[in-house]
Amino acid sequence: MEKITIKINGKDIEALKDQSVLEVARENGIAIPALCSHPEIETQAGSCRVCLVEVSQNGRSRVVTSCNYPVRGGIEVRTDTDLVRRIRKGVVELLLSRTPDAPVIQKLARENGIEGSRFFVDEAEHYRNRCIACSLCTQVCEEVVGVSAISMLDRGRDKAPGTPYLKPSQACIGCGACAYACPTEAISMIDEGEVRKIWGREFKMLTCSVCGKPYIPEAQVEWIVKTTGKDRSFFDKCPDHR
Amino acid sequence: MGIDIRKIDEIIESYDKSEESLLAILQDFQHTFRYVPEEGMKRVSEILGIPESKIYGVGTFYKALSLKPVGRHTCKVCTGTACHLKGAHTLTDIIGRELDIEPGETTKDGRFTLQTVNCVGACALAPVVMVDDEDYYEGSSPQDVLKNLRKYK
Repeated sequence: MEKITIKINGKDIEALKDQSVLEVARENGIAIPALCSHPEIETQAGSCRVCLVEVSQNGRSRVVTSCNYPVRGGIEVRTDTDLVRRIRKGVVELLLSRTPDAPVIQKLARENGIEGSRFFVDEAEHYRNRCIACSLCTQVCEEVVGVSAISMLDRGRDKAPGTPYLKPSQACIGCGACAYACPTEAISMIDEGEVRKIWGREFKMLTCSVCGKPYIPEAQVEWIVKTTGKDRSFFDKCPDHR
Repeated sequence: MGIDIRKIDEIIESYDKSEESLLAILQDFQHTFRYVPEEGMKRVSEILGIPESKIYGVGTFYKALSLKPVGRHTCKVCTGTACHLKGAHTLTDIIGRELDIEPGETTKDGRFTLQTVNCVGACALAPVVMVDDEDYYEGSSPQDVLKNLRKYK
């Protein structure tokens, strides 16, 4: 990997070519807010638009999403210019009008000095959820878990993740990776005793032979055994007691 | 309405077994069955090896594809920018009242399905109503549009 030097907020920083600006900044302790970016995902969708920074090169500057902007030698990044702040404020305000109930968005709004959204807030129950339609859940399901049980459905303001035919998905293994990855905690996953409810399906949980705690859906164990060849007995005990 | 599984397979077999054929196959389903049946999407998933979630995602994305059976005729009112300004919404209301349905619904006798679409690419004719994907009507007067709709049995 080619080593290069870039500038972030006036400081010279070493990076590897093709790393994202966001990754380099975070490695060097420079905070950039971001919602839909996840290190395990190969292609950062750049859909939440919160991680905006200003990049200058050859005397020209433009505002880009730092999560999917590959670094090149000689670029100069500024994370906190007036322009970036102003655009980000607008972005967060729009997110707030879509998901006024999401605590993560409310917090982001406060940090960006937004008291309430000037934009129309749809009071219809259907739209009152916490989803910002970033598609991280579907990416995790496809790329990391490898089952593609959910995908983004519809378009425009109706766009949201869902299962095929809006019926319980047969491909789903109940792992809950989508719910854990969701930046706004929009996906409902309920663990009740030995049952996990997610995406309209109920999954039986396997219990740890030492502490007796249900800790993993049986369907997920089957999937791991099938795809990795790991011995089933490995899952007799939960991670705390292995 | 029973869906002929042989017809489904015939359509799928007529294309390359690759992900790129997906949209063309779904369009053929739409054309043949007047909607994209669930059985069809399942078969595409089996034969082309594409996850059902992806196929359903594509099916919900395009307004040209319907996931519910539609009427014998589809009446699409364009609500693109030019048509919107030229009163597409009033036109939709008037047609909806005449047919006694809301956009997205089908008349009880199965004659018409009313839809609103984003742009049919005929902005010079705005506001445009398209029937059965082939007849374009300039909606300069809602009365004319209603008169034209009566031709479809």
